[in-house]
Amino acid sequence: MFSGFKSTMTNQIKEKLIKLSEEIADLISCSSDLTNLDEIRVSSFGKKGSVTAYLKNLKDYDEDTKKEIGSLVNQVKSNINNLIETKKVSFRQDLLNNRINSEKIDVTLSSKERDLGTLHPLSRTIEELSAIFADMGFSIVEGPDIETDYYNFTALNIPKEHPARQEHDTFYLEPDKEGNRKVLRTHTSPVQIRTMEKLNLKEFDEIRYIIPGRTYRSDHDATHSPMFHQCEGLVLGKNINMGHLKGCLIEFCRSYFNVENLPVRFRPSYFPFTEPSAEVDIGCKKEKDGSLSIGEGEDWLEILGSGMIHPKVLEGVGINSNIYQGFAFGMGLERLTMLKYGIPDLRPFYDSDLRWLKHYGFLPIDNPSLHSGLNGVFS
Amino acid sequence: MKLTWKWLLEHLETEAGIDQVVETLPKLGLEVASVIDIAKDLREFVSVEVLEVNKHPNADKLNVCIVFDGNKHFKVVCGAHNVKVGMIGVFAYVGTFIPGLNFTLKSGNIRGEQSDGMLCSEKELTISDKHEGIIELPKSTKNGLSVVDVLELNDPIIEIEITPNRGDCLGVRGIARDLAASGIGTLKELKIKEIEGDFESLINWKIDLNKDENFLCPKIFGRSFTDLTNKASPSWMQKRLLAVDQRPISSLVDITNYIMIDLGRPLHAYDIKKIEGKNLTVKKSKKGDKFNALNGKIYDLNNEMLVISDSHGIDDLAGIMGGERTSVNLNTTEIFLEAAIFSPSSIAQTGRALNINSDARYRFERGLDYNSPELVMHYAALMIQKICGGKVSKIVSLQNKNENKKIIFNPEIILKLSGVIIENNKSLKILEKLGFNVLVDNNNWNIIVPSWRSDIDGVADIVEEIIRVNGYSSIPTIMLSRKNYIAKPAMNSKHRQSFFATRILATRGYNEVITFSFLNKVMAHQFNGGQNSLSLVNPISSELTDMRPSILPNLIQAAQKNINKGIDNISLCETGPVFKGDSPNEQLNSISGIRIGNKYIRDWKKTSEKFDFYDIKSDVLETLYSIGSPSNSLKIFTDAPNYFHPGRSATFKIGINIIANFGEIHPEITEFYGLKSSVFGFEIFPDKIPIPKNNKTARPMLKTASLQAVTREFAFIVDNLLESEKVIQAAKSADKKLITDIMIYDIYEGKNIPEGKKSIAIKVTIQPNLESLTDKDLEQISSNIIKVIKTKLSGTLREV
Repeated sequence: MFSGFKSTMTNQIKEKLIKLSEEIADLISCSSDLTNLDEIRVSSFGKKGSVTAYLKNLKDYDEDTKKEIGSLVNQVKSNINNLIETKKVSFRQDLLNNRINSEKIDVTLSSKERDLGTLHPLSRTIEELSAIFADMGFSIVEGPDIETDYYNFTALNIPKEHPARQEHDTFYLEPDKEGNRKVLRTHTSPVQIRTMEKLNLKEFDEIRYIIPGRTYRSDHDATHSPMFHQCEGLVLGKNINMGHLKGCLIEFCRSYFNVENLPVRFRPSYFPFTEPSAEVDIGCKKEKDGSLSIGEGEDWLEILGSGMIHPKVLEGVGINSNIYQGFAFGMGLERLTMLKYGIPDLRPFYDSDLRWLKHYGFLPIDNPSLHSGLNGVFS
Repeated sequence: MKLTWKWLLEHLETEAGIDQVVETLPKLGLEVASVIDIAKDLREFVSVEVLEVNKHPNADKLNVCIVFDGNKHFKVVCGAHNVKVGMIGVFAYVGTFIPGLNFTLKSGNIRGEQSDGMLCSEKELTISDKHEGIIELPKSTKNGLSVVDVLELNDPIIEIEITPNRGDCLGVRGIARDLAASGIGTLKELKIKEIEGDFESLINWKIDLNKDENFLCPKIFGRSFTDLTNKASPSWMQKRLLAVDQRPISSLVDITNYIMIDLGRPLHAYDIKKIEGKNLTVKKSKKGDKFNALNGKIYDLNNEMLVISDSHGIDDLAGIMGGERTSVNLNTTEIFLEAAIFSPSSIAQTGRALNINSDARYRFERGLDYNSPELVMHYAALMIQKICGGKVSKIVSLQNKNENKKIIFNPEIILKLSGVIIENNKSLKILEKLGFNVLVDNNNWNIIVPSWRSDIDGVADIVEEIIRVNGYSSIPTIMLSRKNYIAKPAMNSKHRQSFFATRILATRGYNEVITFSFLNKVMAHQFNGGQNSLSLVNPISSELTDMRPSILPNLIQAAQKNINKGIDNISLCETGPVFKGDSPNEQLNSISGIRIGNKYIRDWKKTSEKFDFYDIKSDVLETLYSIGSPSNSLKIFTDAPNYFHPGRSATFKIGINIIANFGEIHPEITEFYGLKSSVFGFEIFPDKIPIPKNNKTARPMLKTASLQAVTREFAFIVDNLLESEKVIQAAKSADKKLITDIMIYDIYEGKNIPEGKKSIAIKVTIQPNLESLTDKDLEQISSNIIKVIKTKLSGTLREV
């Protein structure tokens, strides 16, 4: 064969191949979807594919032509494969875009209502108190709401007909067969007696307790509720004096109200079960809008009563007041809660009004502690 | 206790001003409730002479006046009926704040007439409530003087809250004594002249009490006064009495009241001419006796009341209130004056039984100066003679000997108890100024307590006296030491149960409430309470009469209140006491909750769904698990208390102890509260949950299955009354080792199911532990399940 003829023939095959490749490229660019694209791939490179046919025919040519055409076929194949892959990516992108477009939602539609409940501000206060006093080594004890006259009064050095008794507005239960009538405890102080009675005098060195609980007095108006809450404190040891009372209560007031320089004042007062006794005031300021802010200011607010446990009370439970002495304190929890959280009115505390509970209540996951904080900031 | 500034100065010699005194009082334990100084607002009001009064041309009831303040003339429109030429009135300039009207005066034009000021009434000055007519000052008053000086209004009123132990401070002198001890001044000597008396008293004392009852009246003094003139008391006295809320009546009555405030010593005066016989007898009343009191009321007395009687009968309730029959009036010319010591507790008992609250009772109850009766006989005689003239008799008295209390005191106790370091000399000085008498023998102080301090009876009291006067501010601040403890929680396991339960419930949508521990009788009975031992004798209202047997009624009532406010979907919980009896171990802690209304509200996404029994059951189980209830020992029973719907309630027990009651509240109760929808509730008794004893923090090793679990589903046709739990138990028994979970996923009754039967579909999870199970193994387990349901429950596999 003439080399000239050979080269002419080779050129013709080449031209055809290039033309075919261009046709296929057109088909690819006009293809409608992934299936169509696959059809094009099969019709080109399948067993009976148009490009495959050239590879099949190669055996008829000489080595040089084989080489030349073979390389061209491979080049065409690679080009077309690239085109198909590119097209595929574009189809996938289109598909995803379509899906995303079709999945658009109205984000302004309301989500599910918040379904967390709330904790009552009073139980919150008890927990805050517990956290503060736990840090000072106190633990919680409790006692019964229905008390005998002995625990509520006599053991606390409030004999019958004592004027202090009349200030208590006591609720009485129907007398039993012997004529003894029990009372609803008018303060948490009887638990002091019950706690001290149980002490093992041989073993104990020092005790620190707080006693939160329900208390009752027959008084009902805007600032009094027949049931209210108190927290009692009791520290008893061999070397406890009034300086400790002062240190403990100053630390408590400042921690609870979260005011580091809170002025705390101790005033002489009278409780039958403590001697000496002290009333504790904290500093406050009346703001222009009539609200009260706790901290340095020209006014004082009375928030708790305290004193050194009366020797008669100690002797009454069999504790030698020459060896042991200690202090006790008591505070109204509603008042503390109202002052800290700006709750203006006492009565709704017991009204179970959901609007009030949701407004003044606390998140159940907000657990007052020294490490997570005591002031309910997110609620 | 109210007193005025000038009254205080009668007993206290001081350079200090009222501000300093008011600041010192609370430091002594005498809490100042208020200081009222009306003079503050009244300084700018001046005396003026009315020169002209002319009819207002445009108003019948008004006059146009010209007044003169000594310096300038002012034209004023005045509507008072008593305005007249020549009178001296009280004038407010333009720009003066009028306290009684709460505004600042402006110049104005009243119906066409210019008015540059105002003639004032007592009400406008807040001196009294009198508003008819303007104030008319004495003719001799010069023009332009401040009304504060003319009317002597410059005497602020101080109100002090006296604690029950300080009976001695229920008189001005006691307060002055405390102030003097604090170093703010000195206590003036009491002006007393001993008057022996010219004649024997017309009336004598007798005591008609058993020997062992002498303590009821350990001391009684009296003397007679004759030829008295009893008219209105002098105006200085009236002014002071008014300032401390005592209504002036007549000189004799006012003197007794004045001395009561002055010295804290109540007195009683009888009109001698009205006393029958020559004796007054102290005795106890008898049931059926009647007493016609000064306040116009008649009281029925009982057997135990201390009274004073003449030969006619009872006419004085000792230490509490005098009688009407022998009372003093303006015609009285002869009186018998009584000053006694009565038993405080007897007075308290009588006063409370009769519900009489008098100033005298208040003071007797808090303890009087034991030496005051003899002292006051002279003090009063001087004042009566000065104001009412007449003659004074000798004193008649009956008394028991009484020695002042003695306390042995070691001054080292001051530091030990209070932490205050104070020099002995200073302590002694304080005690001395308070009236204590101290005999010092090294560290052995023999302290004699003054007769007016019945509250002092131990070393702790003495320490308080010293550190109180020394100032509580000198008590050191000492932090409690941390040496004695390691970090430990304040809560024990029982407290933690309530703490966790409330949190679990709140995260499930419950709102924690706190309700009263008492409720009304009907509600108490509905919830199996209301027994006599838990009823209040003196409830505050008929709604709060009985200690609650359960928290549920309170929660239902709370829900009802919310429903009335338009809230429909309600979940409330409370943790607190319930009462089964009146002894401490009959008070149980209960964790309770109720749910009403919809669990889901219908919205664009889903339809609404109501709360049902199973929501509550899930709340209860979730709570029980989180407060340490062991799940494998919980057994369910259908015998919940009768306040639950009998067909829709249950009880969880551990052993014989009821751990929880839950379910739908009985429709009868729901209807009683006027609730239209079903109420679901529960009550958990955490005290009954056993607390694991070991304190180990380490948990058992976790074992996870390495082989995949297989599930098989079955549907059985069983009796329609069969409890589904039985199917689960039976199926589980087919292979206790390999079957790890059984879930009911469908319950069906109706078409294709025979009458009286139901279909229960279960999904059984089979967990191989050592080696994989073959198809044959699984088939064996399945056929075992079918077999056991058949034999134990007569259930058959449902053909699908």
